[in-house]
This record gives sequence, structure tokens and C-alpha cells, in this order.
Amino acid sequence: MNAAVRLSVTSLRAHKRRFAGTFLAVFLGVAFLAGTLVMGDTLRAGFDTMFGDATSGTDAVVRSTDTITTPGESQGVRQPVPTSLAGTLARVPGVAAAEPDIEGAGQLVGRNGKAIGGQGPPTLAGNWITDPKLNPYRLAQGHAPRRTGEVVVNRGAAKKGDLKIGDTTTLRTPDPVKVTIVGLATFGGEDGMAQVTFTGMTRTDAEKYLTARPGQAASIKVRAGPGIGQKQLVDRLTPVLPKGVEAITGQESAQENTDMISSRFLTIFTTFLLVFSGVALLVATFSIHNTFAIVVAQRTRENALLRALGASRRQVTATSLAEATAVAVAASAAGLAGGIGIAAGLQALFPAIGFPFPDGDLVISALSMALPLAVGIVVCLGSALLPAVRAGRTAPLAALRETAVDTSGASRTRAVTGLGLAALAVAATLSGVLVSPSVWTAGLGAVLALVAFVVLGPVAATTALNVLGAPLGGLRGVTGALARRNALRSPRRTAATASALMIGVAVVSLFTVFGASLKATMDQTVSRSFAGDVAVSTPSFGAGGSGLSPRLAGAIQRLPQVDTAVGLGRGVAKVDGAGRALTVTDPVALQRTFDLGTVQGSLRDLGTDGIAITRNEAAEQHLTTGDDARLTFTDGKKETFTVRALYGRSELAGDYVITRAAWAPHRTQDSDTLVAVTFKKGVSADAGKAAVGKVAARYGNPSVQTRHEYAQSSAGGIDMMLTLVYALLALAVLIALLGIANTLTLAIHERTRELGLLRAVGQTRAQLRAMVRWESVLVAAFGTAGGLGLGAFLGWVLVRASDGASDSSFAFAIPPAQLLVVALVGLTAGALAGLRPARRAARLDVLHAIAAE
Amino acid sequence: MTTATTVRTAARVVDAVKVYGRGDTEVRALDGVSVDFPAGRFTAIMGPSGSGKSTLMHCAAGLDTLTSGTAHIGDTDLGTLDDRRLTLLRRDHVGFVFQAFNLVPTLTVAENITLPLDLAGGRGDPEWIDALIDVVGLRDRLHHRPAELSGGQQQRVAVARAFAGRPDVVFADEPTGNLDSRAGGEVLGLLGRTARETARTVVMVTHDPVAAAHADEVVFLADGRLVDRMEAPTADRVLDRMKAFEVPS
Repeated sequence: MNAAVRLSVTSLRAHKRRFAGTFLAVFLGVAFLAGTLVMGDTLRAGFDTMFGDATSGTDAVVRSTDTITTPGESQGVRQPVPTSLAGTLARVPGVAAAEPDIEGAGQLVGRNGKAIGGQGPPTLAGNWITDPKLNPYRLAQGHAPRRTGEVVVNRGAAKKGDLKIGDTTTLRTPDPVKVTIVGLATFGGEDGMAQVTFTGMTRTDAEKYLTARPGQAASIKVRAGPGIGQKQLVDRLTPVLPKGVEAITGQESAQENTDMISSRFLTIFTTFLLVFSGVALLVATFSIHNTFAIVVAQRTRENALLRALGASRRQVTATSLAEATAVAVAASAAGLAGGIGIAAGLQALFPAIGFPFPDGDLVISALSMALPLAVGIVVCLGSALLPAVRAGRTAPLAALRETAVDTSGASRTRAVTGLGLAALAVAATLSGVLVSPSVWTAGLGAVLALVAFVVLGPVAATTALNVLGAPLGGLRGVTGALARRNALRSPRRTAATASALMIGVAVVSLFTVFGASLKATMDQTVSRSFAGDVAVSTPSFGAGGSGLSPRLAGAIQRLPQVDTAVGLGRGVAKVDGAGRALTVTDPVALQRTFDLGTVQGSLRDLGTDGIAITRNEAAEQHLTTGDDARLTFTDGKKETFTVRALYGRSELAGDYVITRAAWAPHRTQDSDTLVAVTFKKGVSADAGKAAVGKVAARYGNPSVQTRHEYAQSSAGGIDMMLTLVYALLALAVLIALLGIANTLTLAIHERTRELGLLRAVGQTRAQLRAMVRWESVLVAAFGTAGGLGLGAFLGWVLVRASDGASDSSFAFAIPPAQLLVVALVGLTAGALAGLRPARRAARLDVLHAIAAE
Repeated sequence: MTTATTVRTAARVVDAVKVYGRGDTEVRALDGVSVDFPAGRFTAIMGPSGSGKSTLMHCAAGLDTLTSGTAHIGDTDLGTLDDRRLTLLRRDHVGFVFQAFNLVPTLTVAENITLPLDLAGGRGDPEWIDALIDVVGLRDRLHHRPAELSGGQQQRVAVARAFAGRPDVVFADEPTGNLDSRAGGEVLGLLGRTARETARTVVMVTHDPVAAAHADEVVFLADGRLVDRMEAPTADRVLDRMKAFEVPS
């Protein structure tokens, strides 16, 4: 063993460059993984502290027990509690203060007339709680709102909208309210709770604008007197609470809040990043494996000599593994340091881009160090295992032979295995997609397809490179021909190098195709079911935004150009016990602006006790026209509705439709999500749009869009998502390119004498550089082509599987322009990867090269 | 140049000095060698190991640079050329045959033969190349890869390649060093025959008296100096001359 270790140390020292690529690949993967984990922990701890600080003065929260959660939403709607309860609670012995907390949506308009936030995080408004200890926000500047129209906003929102104390602006609740900023607040010592915006109003204003009717609050916050514990306080409060209302401790409430942030934001965020570090590490595995395989192949003579001199198989294998271990440990350890660096960098960077990162030291847990370290070492050693075993098997006689011929490319077993796997993959995919839709079967098919691609790589390499390289011979003459044949020399090596890039490109193409399909789906949805001329909506994404004023539809309706303007509001209720979203609208007008498919029954006379349901949903709930459905509203009231109509299309209109009159008694904060408008005959689209725009400007200036624009903007979130995905995948592609560069460098080392010969018989340095570069481009082209094919296939599987798993129909679209860009990026990257090895090869001294062993 | 030469020289070195290393490790591989290689002749360079014969050839061929003195191919002073021009000069005016690893393994026999022409981007002279293929006797092997040929056949391909571009001079560095005597004899015969039939200049480095006997003239090097020249050599005469070097002087 000692000898083995000594040999590997000397070999490492002698071949530092060979392992530089491996080191970098492991380093990048581990750093990304560790950075993600450390950042996740740090964010979580930061939010914990922030919430702890902000709510430390609240000893108990009193709220109603019931929530209504609709499918696809993590946080339910809670029934309000009467504000008068605060007075009752304040008289309970041991209570120092009790104040109602009124919550709603309210989006501020900045100095430039544009709404602040709304791209994900909530935009909140509420009453400014006068007891400073109960208020999670602290006044940092100015004073609390005293008169109507006065507000305090969190400092982050003010900065973003360029607003100062004394400024007057608009708050969309969604009815535009003129407000004057009199104070700036902080949350837990920060400019805000992440990017959530908050506007605090007087209690009267809050009741007026944020609730359907005065006297309702989301909850009541209670502070205990001296010497009373939180638990004790809850015990004292509970007896005086009406039925359906509960008290929880302040700690529990803070925990719920942080858990919500964790589950809605942090977990998704970190999982997302972890998936991409997984892709990067998978790509790294291929690059690393390839490097070790080449190094072992190049050392055949050396290993054979060792075996001839009496080294055992185990000793030779151990030498190789010891080398891999040294690289793995060093690179993983460096990766950990890099990961901490990344997290620290982000902590410094986030506030600069307007994302208040909670203060505090980096949280470096044992797990977030141990896991990346273990993954890095396992990936590296796992990749090196096979080559090491192969090294051990070197026959002592190999020392006397020329380098072994690589026949793996054309191996029959490989071709048969690969084709078998491919057949299995197609079968599994088709059955998972077409026969009996199942995401799991389809997923299995996708994984099998990936494996089949990797196995078939060397078999396909010869044909693929001949096809891809065919233009080279004509274009670049003998230089091109040499490049192509060099790439073809070891199909297995070329395929392994290309596989790394293939996986990266496949994931990129998968997302590109899936994104394009989602867009096409939205476009199809809008063009199929939206029959109006223009749509008015607030551009928002996620939980932000405050919707549209419910009075907007009426104001637009009064325009001479307009035939119908219908607003769609959103309500929630339990339908026969299950939480469901309701569309609150004028059903008759709805039918004129939306294509609802075939309607059975009539939407005309829903009245205050009628409901219309989509045919699919009705079938699921076993309802039909004439049946009764029991609806439970957020105010706790239960009412029986009669199903008066069934309709076919639900994409924009939702599954349940009730009238405004039926919703009015139970309404919460009023807002519409969309106003659909049709023009009278003879009104041009431009004139109509301009007229609607003028009215909309008075209601907080939401966007007025034609059908096409509306479809486009519905897909806006997808583009944002794709950009993020591309940025994260850049790492995987970078690692793949390092792999190509590394393989080339090793190949050049191997071909030193041949390169010397070429130079001697008249190849110029420029020709030599071009030869190496083109080889790199060819390998990249092979990987890119495979990745595009695989990615498009996987995208198709994903779209079809989603289609089978959901009610709405999914469109499949291949975006040629974007995929062409992906292909060009792959090729360019290949050329870049070849630059360094090419320069190095061209620097070879002719005489030394010829004399090289 | 002090004396006018009656015969045109294809290559020559004047006062060639090549020093490797510095101080204690300094080695004077060439120590003031001046030699002409007349056009249309087959010249062998001989000498014991370490006599500087390979260095002389490398410098004369423009593969290596001299410490002092000049090297010429035709009328071109190699010292005035940069790397690119040197490469182009080699490609267009010089042919090479090395001891081993003479062919590009990914190219066929035919492609190896025309490699310098292909690198230059020209088509060469198809009749000339056709004739060459017959001279080296490899017509039935044109589409084989080097790995499928014997060592002797590989060297014959290398000879054909060296002459393919109608070079002014062909340099051969121990071209038979890796071959048995029969294959070696064939290659040497081919080299000499091609040189005479096509009126090309050939300069060959060898330590084998039998190989040297194929040349028109032998120049002897010892300790980096030119010590003798021999016209119309035979293996025995060369061997006798070489024995003289073994006696310590």
C-alpha cells in the first residue's frame, strides 16, 4: 500500500495539469451545492430572527378556527373576527393591550406612476397598530397615521417607489385611495419583510377600504401584562372567546409565519437550486470519469511495467484510486470554501439589488458541509472506480505493445444493449403518456431514454461525426478532415466527452420546449375562450398586486364605444365541504365575452341562489342541473345553491360561477382580477382601446391589452422563469466545456509526436490551431445535437404527461428560433473550449515533439 | 562566400555552431561546421553517437536554429525567417523521412503521401504523384491505414511523401533505424533511386555503414566538427573510416 500511495503522489505531482479539469468540475459542483445549503440555512435563520424580533411583543393571537383552502393554494382564507372582540379581550385580567389586525391587499404607486412590487411577494395593507409592542413594524421616521389618508409605509417600499415623507400617492385597494406618507417603518430591523410591501393606515381607513364592511378584522393581537406567560394568557382568553374563534400564543403564530415563508418560498427556492446543482454534478461525473479513463489509458505502459515488475492488481488499482481520492478530497474541501464564499457574496449582493437579506452571520450547519463533501467525494471516486479497476487489469505484456486499439465504439453488445434500452424507454414513455397517463411511468421512460442515449453514444458517434463533419472536409480541406478523424479516433472517449454537454443541452432544451409549450397553451386558451376585444388586468405575478377596482367594469360599460364590459371577481367557499374558488361576475355578460363552450341550462337566472358549474367539475361532484349544492362562505354562513347551468370551458372563467348579488353578503375585500371588454360594431380596436385606457387611468392605471397582448403577458412569468433556469444551467454547461477542454488537452498530450510530424511536414501553427479547434467544435456539435434531440423528446414527454394529468389541454410547441440559439451557443462554446488546448498544441516545439516518447 | 561553386548547392551550412546548455553543462553539438549539399546528390552524414550529425541535419532543415553561423536552403538564409515562413519553406521546398512515427495514423496511405500538398492547399502534380506511387510500389495499398502496413511499407510511404511536393532537398534521419536489413535495403534503394531518377537532393543521417554505402558521398562528423568526406563509398571503406574514430585521439 505504501508503494501505491507513494506512486500516486509522484504521479499527481507530475501530472498536475491533467487533474486541473477534474478539480475544477468537482469544485464547481460542490461549491454550488454547499452555497445553496448555507444560503438556505442562513435565510431561514434570518427570517426566524426577523419574525421573532418583529412579533416578540405579541403574546397571543386570536382568530377564527376555520380556513377555506382551494386546491393549488397553500394558505387558506380565514374567516374574519369582529373588531369589537378586542374590547372584550382588553378587559380580561392580565391583558395589557388588545388590538384588531385588519389585513388586505394594497399596492402603492411609485413616483413614476408605476405600481411598486407585485412580482411575487405580497403587497399588503392594514391598520397601523397603535400599541408599538403589538405592531410588528417599528416606526423609523415620521409619525403614525392620525388623520384619514395618512399612512406609514415600510422603508423598502418607499425606496423602491422613490417616495419620501410628505409625498402624496395612490394606494390601490384596489379602488384608488389618495394617501399621504407620514412615516417610514422597518420590520425586524430590516427595510421590510423580504420584498413584501406594507402600508399602514388608520383603523377607520383600513376598515373602510380593506374589508367588505366595518367591524371585521383578520385577527386580534393581545399583549400580556407583567408576569403573565404566553400560555397562561391563552388559557385566560379562551373562556371568553365565541364559538369558532381560537387563541394561540405569539410564539406559535411567529412559527406559523416562518413556516409559511419556508414552505412557500425558501423550500421551493432551495429545492430549485439543489436540482440544478444535481444536474451540474451529473455532468461533472461524466467529465471526471472521462479524465480518469484517459489518464489510465495513457498510462497503460507505465502500469504494465509496474505489473511486470511484480505489482499486484490491487496495488495498481489502489494507486489510481489513491490519486482520485486526493483530487476528490482537495477539490471538495476547496468547494466547501467556495460555497461559503458564494453564500457570503449573495448575502452582500442581495441588499444591493433591493432584496433585504436578513442580517446575521452565515449559518454553517454540519449537514450543509458534510453533504456536499460526501457528494463531491462519492462523485469523484465513483467516476474513477471503473478506470481504476481497468488499470489493475492491465496485462504485464501491454508494456511491449503499442497502445491498445479502442474497439468499444462499435461493440455489438453495446449497440444491442443501447437499442434495447431505447426500445424500453420508448415503450415506457408511450404507455406513460398515451395508454394510461402516469407521470411516474413517463418519468421512468425519460430516465431510460437518457441512459440509452449515453450507452448508444459511442455507437452513434462514428455516424454522427461523419455526418456533422462532412462539411468540414470541403470547407477546411485537410485541416478539417484531420479534425474529424481525430474526433473519431476513440468513439467512446468522444461520446463520453459529448455526453456531459449533451445532458446540459438536453435540460436547457427541455425547459425551452416546455416553456414554449406553456406559452402556446396560454395563447390557445386565451384565443379559444376569450371572445372580448380588450382585457384589463394588473400585471402581477404570484401573491402580489391588489386586483382591479370592482367599479372599473361599470365605468367602462358607460363608454359609448363599449358593448359589454364584465368584471371577474374571485371568491372562495366550501362546496359540499371542499374548498373551491368561485368566479363572481355577471353571468349574462360573461357569456358575451367568453366562449364557455356548450351551455346546458341557462346562465340568465342564477339570481342569488343559483350557481353555474363546468361539466367536468359537475361530473366529479356528481351534480347536474337542478341539483342542490351546499356552500359555506368565509363568514361562516351556509347557503344552499341550485345548479342552474353547466358549461364546457373553464380555462378563464373558472369552475364555479355565481352572481355578484349572491356573493355580496359574504364578500371580503372587493376586487376584480380581470375586466373583459367587447366593443360596439364599427368601433376600431385602437379607438376602443384608447377610450378604455383613459377610464382605466383613473382607477390606478391597470394595463389594457388586446387579446394577443393579453395572451402574451399571461406568459410573462414563464420567460422570467426560463431566464433563471438558463442562468443556473450555465454552470452545468460550463462544467461540460471544461470536460471537452480537458479531454482535448489530454489527447494533445497523447499525440505529441504526431503533431510534431505534422508541423515538420509543413502544417502551420494556424492550421494546427484550427485542427484542434474544429475537433472541439465537432465534439460539441455531437453533444449539442444529441442534447437537442433528447431535450425535445423529454419536453414532449413532460407536456404530454402534464396534459394527461390535468383537465386543461396542453399544447406542444417546438420553438425553432430558441433551439437554434441553443445550438449556436453549444457550437460557439465548443470553439471556446478548444481555444486553450489549441494554443497549447501550437506552442509545441517541433523537435521536442518528434523526439517525445 | 569566397569561392564560386561550379555545382549548384541545394542546402548548406556555414560556420555552424550549436550550443546546448550553459556553464558547466554546456555542450557544443556543432563546433564550426561548414558543409555544402550539392543539388541532385545523395549525401550521407556519418559519425559516432554524440558527434552532432542529427543536430546538423535538424539545423540544415530548419527544424532547429543555430547558435551562430548560417544555414541555407537554396538561396534562402533560414536565420532570416520567422516560424511561419520556415514552416512554409519546409512545406514547399523540404521533404522529411524520420526514423519512426513517420505517418499520421488517421490518414490513409494516399492521404499521407499528399499531406504536405494538402496542407499547402494545392493539388500538386497528379502525374508526378502517380509516378511516385509506382516507384515506391504501393498502388494496391493506397486506401489502407498506416497501422495495416509493415514497418518497411510505412517507411516507403514516408519516402513517397517526402518527394511528393518536388522538394529541393529531402532530409532523412536514420530512416532504416527501425527496420530489418532487407526492408532497410529496400528503403535505401528506393531513396537513392528516387533521388537519381528525379534529380532531387537527399541528405541522410545514419550510423550504419551499409546504409551510408547507398549514398553518392559520405561526410564524417566527430565532436561537432567535419572531419572527412568520402566519394563513392562502399560499406567496407566506411566501416574502416568509422573504426578510426574509436581510437581515442
